[in-house]
Amino acid sequence: MEEVKDKIVSIEKPELLAPPDWKPVIVGILCNWCSYAGSDLTGTSRTQYPPNIRIIRVPCSSRVDPWFIIKALQTTADGVLISGCHPGDCHYISGNYYARRRFLVTRELLKMVGFHEHRVQFSWVSAAEGAKFAQVVKKVTEDVVKLGPLHLYKKENFNK
Amino acid sequence: MDYSKQIQDIAAKLFADGKIDVFVGYRMNGFDDNQIPVVITDPKEVSTLVFTEKSVFNLSNYLKADHTRNKRAGLVVKGCDSRSLNLLLTESQVKRDRLYIIGIACEGVVDDKGQKMQNCIECIVPDAVVYDEMLGNPQGRKDYIVNADIKALAEKGLVERREYFEEIFENCIRCNACRHSCPLCYCAKCCIDQETASLYNGSNTASSAFHALMTWSLHLAGRCVDCRNCEKACPSHLPLHLLHKQNEKVIFENFQNHLAGVEEGERGAFYKYSLKDPDDFIM
Repeated sequence: MEEVKDKIVSIEKPELLAPPDWKPVIVGILCNWCSYAGSDLTGTSRTQYPPNIRIIRVPCSSRVDPWFIIKALQTTADGVLISGCHPGDCHYISGNYYARRRFLVTRELLKMVGFHEHRVQFSWVSAAEGAKFAQVVKKVTEDVVKLGPLHLYKKENFNK
Repeated sequence: MDYSKQIQDIAAKLFADGKIDVFVGYRMNGFDDNQIPVVITDPKEVSTLVFTEKSVFNLSNYLKADHTRNKRAGLVVKGCDSRSLNLLLTESQVKRDRLYIIGIACEGVVDDKGQKMQNCIECIVPDAVVYDEMLGNPQGRKDYIVNADIKALAEKGLVERREYFEEIFENCIRCNACRHSCPLCYCAKCCIDQETASLYNGSNTASSAFHALMTWSLHLAGRCVDCRNCEKACPSHLPLHLLHKQNEKVIFENFQNHLAGVEEGERGAFYKYSLKDPDDFIM
């Protein structure tokens, strides 16, 4: 197991090895009405999920400007998870439909400039889906561990 | 394509009738055969106006400036310029009743070397879509062609693409000329100039350029009309069109063939939605 851990490389920069004590940092941007309540349910029902995620609460998934994703990737994040209400369930009627368009374009642009598609992931989690939230965080963390640390375009002041 | 005489006549007539205070057009730059934009307030200067295939700049950019903002202006627009002007009208940045628009049925403009610009070869809307008067023979709408550079990039591997774009971002000097030359960047205070961003980002690091250019291109996604004013202004000659053309391609293919600024009164792709938008990438 130790040997495998030593060989974790950054997928975008294969020449760089991850330090042995490396742990991924994942920024989770969650909508207040569904996903944040869903993550709360995960906690109150004592479901275990990886502690690598740092959660930011926003009023709606359409509050997520593509700028937020870029800033997260530029500072400390190795991966970003954005989660909102299921289509049709938005507290503000149509916010997540607008957000969905932006997410697709942001994802495709980041893919083109050389980010692996698993660096930025999206999910719909409702307030009742505590178990799904734990699964999603687990999957994102596993994906990012496979990709290795993100060394692209990091701010010098924030280097880990 | 030489409409210098017609434009001079129209501008002189507009000044004589008192319909406009300023006229935005092109004149020769004075030392070679290239042209620069000019804002004319004196009717005597009308004879300096020209329009040929060397008239490359997008003049709708100059409607944001203080000396034209609250005045009645006449201006010349090609197909792509009229699309950005259409968006400025839709987004309430300029008033239609203050403008007298001379539309051109554009046959394509040329770069410094005399070759037809790449965006003119791929042009979808060569005729002006909003105008008071049309010069030239309208050619109608053309088919959408996926940009050759984008096609070539899509075939490359992840590491190769990363290396290619890292070089682009490293060569950016953060002069913000792309932002100032963009007709659709009109915010009084830009989010990428936020104090934290400029303090910590330093000036010309790849990280800072990544943050600025990516944010800029995503804020223009669904609105960019591919006039390439940004590329003409860039002192480092960066291929900035790659970012915009990628967004344009994704939006055209996924969101009901949306093209920015083509229909009157239609806003950018991110201002509307459809229930059938793809969401197979969302868990």
